[in-house]
Amino acid sequence: MATILGGIGTSHVPTIGVAWDRKKQNDPDWAPLFRGYEPVAQWLAQKAPDVLVFFYNDHATTFFFDHYPTFALGVGETYAIADEGLGPRPIPPLKGHAGLSRHLAESLIEDEFDIATWQDLPIDHGCHSPLTMFWPPQPDWPGRIVPIEINVLQHPIPTPMRCFKLGQAVRRAVLSYPEDLKVVIVGTGGLSHQMNGERAGFNNEEWDLKFLDLIERDPRALTAMRHADYIRLGGTEGAEIIMWLAMRGALSEGARKIHQNYYLPMTSAMAVAVFEEPRSAARDSRGVALARERE
Amino acid sequence: MSRQLQGVETLEGTYLFDLARSSGAMRLNRFLHGLTRPENRDLFKSDPDAAFDKARLTADERRMVRDLDWAALMRYGASFFCLEKLGRVRGVSNPEMVAGFRGETLEEFLKTRRVPGAR
Repeated sequence: MATILGGIGTSHVPTIGVAWDRKKQNDPDWAPLFRGYEPVAQWLAQKAPDVLVFFYNDHATTFFFDHYPTFALGVGETYAIADEGLGPRPIPPLKGHAGLSRHLAESLIEDEFDIATWQDLPIDHGCHSPLTMFWPPQPDWPGRIVPIEINVLQHPIPTPMRCFKLGQAVRRAVLSYPEDLKVVIVGTGGLSHQMNGERAGFNNEEWDLKFLDLIERDPRALTAMRHADYIRLGGTEGAEIIMWLAMRGALSEGARKIHQNYYLPMTSAMAVAVFEEPRSAARDSRGVALARERE
Repeated sequence: MSRQLQGVETLEGTYLFDLARSSGAMRLNRFLHGLTRPENRDLFKSDPDAAFDKARLTADERRMVRDLDWAALMRYGASFFCLEKLGRVRGVSNPEMVAGFRGETLEEFLKTRRVPGAR
């Protein structure tokens, strides 16, 4: 049976990918960011997951407003790197795990989570700008991904609680997959930033640090908040951190944060955090039953 | 306004991208999104008027795009993430666009940042 080893929450600011592509590891302006990702890369190298399930958002790249899906599951064997205006990043196409994707689609719909599916489409920086920091291609990717897109661009967007529940449903789906796969859940976005209007450039470090605390200890406090609260505290675009709630929902309550980094150089606060599942939860083949009991 | 968003209207200088804005600026956003395709970029760079004609942009939309009038584009209903494509094609960084939204020069905006070189 598949197991969930833990989760990663990470910003997906485009310049994180650009800094990696331009090898800015030793540039003093970027070194604090690279250093913050090193323990994440080490943790993944040690855990050696087969698949990363990615809750992320598209940036009007793969999808356009003629049809913007609220939740959409990638079901492909491979995903091209999207052209966002400068040509694709110089990294290999992402490798999908179509078998797990198809199982997720069936399980989610059986669970009354009627998710859209897509394939043969490219993926933008919302997924891969941080990915190269902690799972770099050497020269190809160390494993496969299952991407789950969440609309955080065009309101109405899903509630924080709905994102958390999507994570719970994904947990049930992953733990019922018959193959012995090791899975890590990733949620991207944030932290505080606003990219529109005269309020653009807004940040709130105090709120960011509180969020990084609550996402581990008390995610229910975060699911009780409204979009207006997230926007006031973290900016219109910073409100995308509800995608971390999907990641957190896919972990057990006992998951513990073992690493965190926070860096606010420019317009967006860049954070990363690693959450590890308690051994028992990660290994328990009855995880599905346990996840259901907790509801 | 939905229960989720009540109170957002009191935030100064904030343009929430919702279905009404999206619908109002569909033609412009479609043009901007189209810049993810090399053939559209090539046409825009070599013959902007032909690119505007193809996208059937209005005179007002053409002016804002040609002048990179970020604040006006935002007020009009452009999605920031569609504007990002225009920024990349024209060699304008996100901090410079943000400065435009704030009515500042890039230099003024960078003075408010902790690591001005991290661009």
